[in-house]
This record gives sequence, C-alpha cells and structure tokens, in this order.
Amino acid sequence: MNAIAQPLKKANRLKTSSLNNKMVNDYWTDVFNAKAEGKLVCWYEGVAINPLMQAADIRWVHGEAWSALLAARNNEQEAQTAAEHRGYMKELCSYARTHIGCGVLAQNRGVEASGSSFSDALGAGKLGERIPAPDMFISAYPYCSTGQQWDEMLFRLFGKKVPIFNISVPWVWGNKPDAIYLGGTEFNEAKQYMVKQLRACTKFIEEQTGKKYNWDSLGEIMSYTKTAGRLRMEAMELCNAKPAPASFFDWTTSLAPVNFIPGGPGIVEYFEKTKAEIVQRIADNEGGIPQEKYRLFWDGIMNWNKIGWLANKFANYDANMVAGRYTHMGFWHEHESIDLNDPLEGMAVNYLVCPINLSAPLMIEQIIKLCKHYEIDGMVLHAARTCRAFSNPQYLIADAVQKRLGLPVAMIEGDMVDESFYKDELVNSRIEAMLESIEARKRVGIAA
Amino acid sequence: MSIDAIYSAFERAAEQPLESAKAWKQTHGTRVVGSFPMHFPGELAHAAGCLPVILQENHEPITVGHGMIYPFYCGFTRSVVDQACKGDYDFLDAIMFGDHCVQVLGAADVVRAKLPNTRVHFYQLISSMSDPWSLGRARETFLNLKEGLEEMIGHPIDEEATHASIRLFNKNRQLLRKLYDLRRAGDARITAKQMQILVKSSMVMDKAAHNDLLGRLLAEIEKTKAISQRGMRVYLSGHFCQSPKIGVLDMIEECGGIVVDDDLYHGQRYISTDVDETGDPLDALAKWYLERNLKVPCPTRVDQNADWENYLLDAMERSRADGMIVLMAKFCEPHMYYYPEIKEAFEKRGVPHLLIETEHELNSFEGLRTRVETFLEVVKRQSAARRIAA
Ligand code: SF4
Ligand code: SF4
Repeated sequence: MNAIAQPLKKANRLKTSSLNNKMVNDYWTDVFNAKAEGKLVCWYEGVAINPLMQAADIRWVHGEAWSALLAARNNEQEAQTAAEHRGYMKELCSYARTHIGCGVLAQNRGVEASGSSFSDALGAGKLGERIPAPDMFISAYPYCSTGQQWDEMLFRLFGKKVPIFNISVPWVWGNKPDAIYLGGTEFNEAKQYMVKQLRACTKFIEEQTGKKYNWDSLGEIMSYTKTAGRLRMEAMELCNAKPAPASFFDWTTSLAPVNFIPGGPGIVEYFEKTKAEIVQRIADNEGGIPQEKYRLFWDGIMNWNKIGWLANKFANYDANMVAGRYTHMGFWHEHESIDLNDPLEGMAVNYLVCPINLSAPLMIEQIIKLCKHYEIDGMVLHAARTCRAFSNPQYLIADAVQKRLGLPVAMIEGDMVDESFYKDELVNSRIEAMLESIEARKRVGIAA
Repeated sequence: MSIDAIYSAFERAAEQPLESAKAWKQTHGTRVVGSFPMHFPGELAHAAGCLPVILQENHEPITVGHGMIYPFYCGFTRSVVDQACKGDYDFLDAIMFGDHCVQVLGAADVVRAKLPNTRVHFYQLISSMSDPWSLGRARETFLNLKEGLEEMIGHPIDEEATHASIRLFNKNRQLLRKLYDLRRAGDARITAKQMQILVKSSMVMDKAAHNDLLGRLLAEIEKTKAISQRGMRVYLSGHFCQSPKIGVLDMIEECGGIVVDDDLYHGQRYISTDVDETGDPLDALAKWYLERNLKVPCPTRVDQNADWENYLLDAMERSRADGMIVLMAKFCEPHMYYYPEIKEAFEKRGVPHLLIETEHELNSFEGLRTRVETFLEVVKRQSAARRIAA
C-alpha cells in the first residue's frame, strides 16, 4: 500500500455543509438564551423527540449533540474530568460522562439545581456560552439501557427535583415468525405501545407548560421534518453514482437538521440545497474525494473528535466512505410512514427502527441492501469503546457481509467523544489490510 | 446427610450448572429453559413442566467467543457468548429472557445466531418501574411469556400448576432468607462461599430438590451451636449477573472480614421478594417484579421510588456491618453509573467502603489482599473510635 507516500489528498466536503454550522449555532444560541426569554428547557438524549417539545414552545438540550459539540470544539475535557472526579469511570458511555460532567460542574458551582435561578451548567468562558439547567427531562432511549440510565442519573444528580418522563422503547427482536422490517405482530404492538406513551408524554408536557398541547403546531413541524427527511434520503440515494458525490462524513455533519435543529423552512431549504449540490456534482462528475478507487461502508457511531481527520485519511487512501449505518438507517429515514394529520405513529416507527434498535437479523438485511445499492467494496466497523449499543452486533454484521457479499472488513477501535481510545497506527494498519484484500479481489476479477 | 455432604451437593450444581441441568433432563425427561439474569421469573417455565436454569458465567478462559464479542464487555456477557459458541447450550430447549442491559442484548443476538434451532425468545421487561403503566406492561410481558411457553409445550399452562410453582419458589426463597437471618444474627456460621453456592445452586437446580436439601441443612444447622466469631463485620454489595469469584470471597474472610450480609444477585437480590400465592398468577408476578426493586433496588432499573444508596446504608445498619466492600464487575455499566451515588452517600455518612473491580480473567487475588487488609484495618479503627464515642 503506497497511499501514505503520495501527496496528501483531502476530502472534497460538500459546500452546503457550512450552512449547517449556522443552523447549529443559532440553535445553541436559542438554547443559551432560553431562560432569559422565559422558556422552559428540557434535557433529553437519544432519538429525535424534539418536535414534541418544539410544538409546546419548550427549548431542548440534546445530550449527545451537546457532548459532540464540546468534543468538536475541544472543550470536552473539563466536563469529562468533573465527571471522573465524582467517580464516573472511563468505561462509561463518553457522551453520558461528558453530559453528566456538565451537570456536576453545575452542582460544583453551587447553583440551585432546579428552578429558574439556575442558569449555567457549563463554566462560562470555556465555550464562552451557557447551557441552561433543565426544567424537565424526557427519556426515550431506544435499545440502550445506558441511555435510559443516563437520564436517570441526571435526574438524580439534580436532586430528583426536576420532573422526568420515561418512555420505554421496545427492542425490535422478533420472537414470532411473522417478524419483518417494519412489520409483524410484535412490531405493530410495539408501535401502538409507543404511540400510547408519546401521547402520555404530551400530557406531561401540558402539565409542565400549563397550556393545551398544540397538535396543529406538531403537524406543521413534522411536515418540515418529513420533507427534510425525504430530501436527505433522496440526496443520499443519489450517491450510488460513481464517483459518489459525497461521503458518509458529509452526511454525519448534516445530521443536526434531522436530529435536533427546530423543524421549520430552514431544514427543508438546507436539504434542498444539499440535494442540488449532489445533483450538480453528479453532472460534473465530481466526487466526495479527489479520486475514488474504493467504495466503503461505515458501520458504527461517529468519532466526533476525529471527523475531519478521518474524512481526509480515507480520501488519502482513495477510499470513499459512501454510506453508513448511523447516517442511512436513522434520522427520519422512514419519512414515508409519517401521517401529518396524526404524526405520532410515524414518529414511533422512526424511533423503533433507528440504527441500534433492530435485532441483528433485521439490521443485517438493511445493511446488505445498502451495500448492494451503493456498490460497496469493503466495510469499516468502528468499535466505539464506550458505546456498546453500536458495537453489539458488529461481529455478526462483519460475518454476514463477508459471507454473503464477500466484502473485506476492517474493525477499528475508537470512541464517540473520548479521544484516548483511538490509536491511529492500529487504525492505519487495519484499513491498509482491508484495502489490500479489496485489491486482491479485484485482481482476480471478483466484482463487488 | 452431614453438613459437608449437603454443601457438596449444592456445590456440584453451582459449579457445574449445565452438567447438572443436563443430568436432570436425562433422568426426568423435562425440557430445560435457560434464561439470562437478573429479573426473569422461573415460576412460569416451572409450571410449564420445564426446568428453568439461569445461565451462569463459567470459569473457562474465553476463546472462541473472542471472535463474536469485543473484549470490553463484562465477564458475564463474554462468557455466555463463549459458551454459546462452544456449543454448551445446545442441549437447552429454549432460552427466554427479559432484561435489557445493553450488554446482555449484544450477547443475546450472538446466542440466537449460534443456536439456530433453539427458541431464543425475548420478553422485554419494562425497566422504568414507576410509570403509571409499569405494572400493566409487566403483566402483558408475563402473558406473552406464558403464551410463548404454551406454544413450546403444545398445551395451556394450568393455573393451579402455576400457583403450585409460585408456592414452591416462595418456599425456596423463604428457606434461603432464613439462612441469611441466622447468619446475620450470628446463630449460624455460613461463609460467603457457602452462601453463594446455596443461592447459585437454587438458580440452576430443580426447586423441590433444592428445598429438600435446604430443609436438611437447616435441621443440621439448628442442631449445632454457632461459635462466635471475631473480626470485622462486612457487607458485600454489587456483582450482578455473575457470581463473584470464590477466591475473592475467601480472601476477604482470610483477611479477617466476616461477611454478614449482602445485596449480591447471587445472594439476597435473588431471594428478596415472594410472589402472592393467591389471585391471578400473572398479576402476582407483575406485582412481584415491581416490589422486588423496592426491596433491593437494582441499578439496571430506573425507579423514582427507590434509592440504592439509602437502601445500602439502612441494610448496613440492620446487619450491624462495620464496612462495605463493593464488588464491581469490570465494564458493568449500570454499576459504574450508580457507584458515584453510593460513594457520595457513604462518604457523607462516614461509612467506610472499598471498591474492588473484578474480571473474568482474574484468578489470583493476592494483589488485592493488601487493599482489603488495609481497608479492614481502617474499619477496625473507626469502629473502635465509634464505640469509645458511644
Ligand atoms: S452507549 Fe451509545 S447508544 Fe448508549 S447512551 Fe451512550 S451513545 Fe447512546
Ligand atoms: S448488568 Fe452488568 S453484569 Fe449484567 S450484563 Fe449488564 S454489564 Fe454485565
């Protein structure tokens, strides 16, 4: 493998991605100003339940987004150290540790944990910004017990004084022979159970705001979300073009609008522009990396400390990370199931089939479909050390794509926001070994 | 039967759970249903004429399993995957489980993939315990489990049989709790190792046979007068799905600790709560499931009405323990999450505790000995100071 010796090639990132930054900044500014503007604040993690809050004029802090933001701006250390001092160990979900660390910092600052007098949970001057304390928690974590407990520990950290609402998301396992993706007796039951809880959640929200829940507003928000979801899927699907006009890394940086940015014309416009850029790039034969020799699939959660670094690393190997489980199997990807007149069921469907909540057999079928659609040559499996939810099925996935599609794989260790778990030399050697195998397969004329 | 002979019988089952279940299956012709810890009830499978067995971490080095699960998982899940890969579970007629610790879910997917001809069924127990629908949901889950079992055996489970199983299981818990009471009061000398094999064998043996042996043990114990012991009274906490290694328990006692009580899963956690013997059995099981978490709070659940740290402080007082040793299985997320709450509460109250992390691969405990000795020394000084102050 001589890729390293060649001049450094960089990823050709989508230009529209920069618009994302503005939306993200605006979102956080709104969050930081929440208390001053008299808005209630909800802390939550996991799937995008934020439209429920938005419809009630509540501002929301998405735990993972917050931790990822800190990491992306090299500001995670202080919170992580604060968590460590309280006894949270390094092997715990690093997102949770970072977020809980912010809670610990808040407690350390001696501010009242609940009530409006409490206004900054992160040391001002670090990010130069402030995150408001929660007025409520809503927990709706699919699959991962660690996610549910993350909310619980925050609830306890804030003295059990801030109201919490728990939504239990059933795992899509499939005891019955009729279990299929999006269907079967158990799935339908799970869907109804979710709808029941989401409806109860709106009652909880009513109790917090003292106002009637605004269903019209929810329908309107979801119409933007649905459209944004559709446009994003269409844009991604177009990336089966060769060379693929964008990469998984572009799609990860485009998650915010379908994850925690308020639903409105902005998110639709964003994906319209993204899609237009994709279409233009295809017309111009422009790829997401300078030279596309290999097409790869990323399994696992993102490594936020390393996103730009990884995008360039793969570009340098002439390897285009065309698709991934994280980006392509979640975030309103089942937009078609959303009925705007009664959006709860469609929302439930999207939560239930998010990228970690399918049991391995169902998940593997979806991954295989994606690998075929995008004509993938090899798979990188990012074993995020502290996210077992994503790491759990990886040996089964690797085994299935090797056996059924003949794809070489590379398993690499890293983490979401804890840099110390990432070992670059190891990553390089695994990737190079995989690319060698792809080469070998190509030499003997096996089409991917 | 002598006391030693009785303990040996328990130990055989506890140490070779699969062998013992296999032998039972051969001699009795019953189906064997495996389950994962920690909340799944065995009563319904028993009522369906099966032998319910809680799958255990074994002592084997993890070899084949390495190819199916990452090393950064708790010993229990890695061991379960390893056993499935080695074909150890092939004799089971079904695996039915309901807990959703994220690591168990990972193991479950692999187990199902490795046992294509076995029913590996998931009946997800609601883990949020204090919601308005928690009780109803738990009942629905037990109903689904009942139907799953009925489908396997090909006929309905008799309600009277379910009541009988509930009575049998209650009896088992009561007998074990009696042994705990005797030990706590100093009326019986039961080592931590002995207590573990008593409870662990209950997880894998036929309950009637287990009750019979427990009855004999109690009769023998009541005949002998316990010799009073000198040493620091220690409370053991933690270690969920897997039993702590016997070597750790022995070492603690060799250092001068007397284990007087615990909240271990292979201990009080497993036997804390009985099921109502009257009324609808599914209602009773659902109620039992929620009550159990109030009796001995579990950090794998979220429950606004339970506080593990306060429970532990109270339990320490009840058992007049001088110090607590927390045994934490490496990589156990629920435990890692909750530990700071315990640490804070204990430090605030001035109650000494020591955290020990354990690993599947850890077989020599000498490295820990000094820490335990030092801890017990501190505990001794503190309790002496307390006595003087009082
Ligand atoms: S371990 Fe992964 S899935 Fe679980 S809470 Fe953390 S980031 Fe989310
Ligand atoms: S609760 Fe702890 S010991 Fe049990 S499976 Fe989960 S991580 Fe392992």
